[in-house]
Amino acid sequence: MSAETFTTSNDLDAINRLYRERGWSDGLPIVPPSVERVARMLAFSSLAPHHVIARLPPGFGEATVEQVAINAVMAGCDPEYLPILIAATKAVAETSFNIQAVEATTNPAAVWLILNGPIVQKLQINASFNCLGQGAWANATLGRAMRLILQNIGGAKPGEMDRATQGQPAKYTFCCAENESLSAWDPLHVERGFKAEQSTVTVVAAEGTLNMNTHSKQSEEMLRVFAQSMIHPTSNEYCHGGEPWLVLAPEHADILKAGGLTKAQVKQRLWELSKMPARDLSVKELLRAQASRRDEYGQIGPDTMLSIARDPSDIWFIVAGGPGTHTVYVPCFGNSRAVTQLIDMTHLNQLP
Amino acid sequence: MSKRGKAALTICSTAFKSLGHAQASALGKKDLPLVIMPHPFGLRKREEVRAIAEKCVDEIVKLMSKDGNQ
Repeated sequence: MSAETFTTSNDLDAINRLYRERGWSDGLPIVPPSVERVARMLAFSSLAPHHVIARLPPGFGEATVEQVAINAVMAGCDPEYLPILIAATKAVAETSFNIQAVEATTNPAAVWLILNGPIVQKLQINASFNCLGQGAWANATLGRAMRLILQNIGGAKPGEMDRATQGQPAKYTFCCAENESLSAWDPLHVERGFKAEQSTVTVVAAEGTLNMNTHSKQSEEMLRVFAQSMIHPTSNEYCHGGEPWLVLAPEHADILKAGGLTKAQVKQRLWELSKMPARDLSVKELLRAQASRRDEYGQIGPDTMLSIARDPSDIWFIVAGGPGTHTVYVPCFGNSRAVTQLIDMTHLNQLP
Repeated sequence: MSKRGKAALTICSTAFKSLGHAQASALGKKDLPLVIMPHPFGLRKREEVRAIAEKCVDEIVKLMSKDGNQ
């Protein structure tokens, strides 16, 4: 079924007033999704406009290619960004991502998009200076489009089906690329089973970001201070056995690599060093951990050393950012697993 | 569950009432019975929570009976 069209005046202020009144915006002005703009975007997909990519909880709206394109236009995306958003929509709808809980929870979880592969250069997605901040058109508008898709198609409107207690700024937009050329290891998408020449988007249910500044030049010491920063007794990850993420500064990655560490060894060491005695949890959280992790630990007592993730391989990291000694810890929702989806490059490969 | 002929209702707290109604509606079960309990539980004593639960049982039985799905 095609999206409904309506005629309105050509006055941008009036159009934005209409979108505001109908609750179709994220609180910021939108780009009007005119028939012409949506058509330009649809030219970047071989799928029919009415093709249903997924039904998105919590409202179970049908995310058609056209609906995704409309929200992408509203967010200010360039037409060639559409294949990324089609892939991201498929990814969030995967059962293991648990979008129902991610959207309807009181937790501030935001959907973080991570881009890998040739698409990063082609569409100038920022993986360097300030890659989690402002300034890059692709990063800003792609993350925003994802939010509008979840809100307008999935029905996750704040205070209605989106029950976040406070939410977080990343719910406006959260998107970056991996700085693959500065990484000492295989990039994320290769680690997750794709070829280096393929382009992918990975979705992560991110609880927030914590900056970890260290001038350490020694790999073991660096991992120790990272791990100690990751430990916090109010974390969902210790309750459920989570999937914590790091955005590793290229300088930090170089030091870890110079220390002779593989990716798997970095994860193993972080997993060991970030264990926390269960007694540090509140009584209520200890009960939650007992309910959630009994299969893993059996009876959990105050002296049980809880790991942040069920397995070291559940700790993930990308290398991104510019020069500097800042690595970012991205604690995650806990009851969600990241999903990586291949991006259809058919139309993008025809671009100069 | 109710589409499969099984007894079904949702129990939630007042903070999630609008979510419960909206989701039931989105899934084509606008009339799905909801049992609403006061929010939050965090500051209540165990006896208070038990009293709420006991009060709730009558409502659950009533709603299940009304739905003809006992």
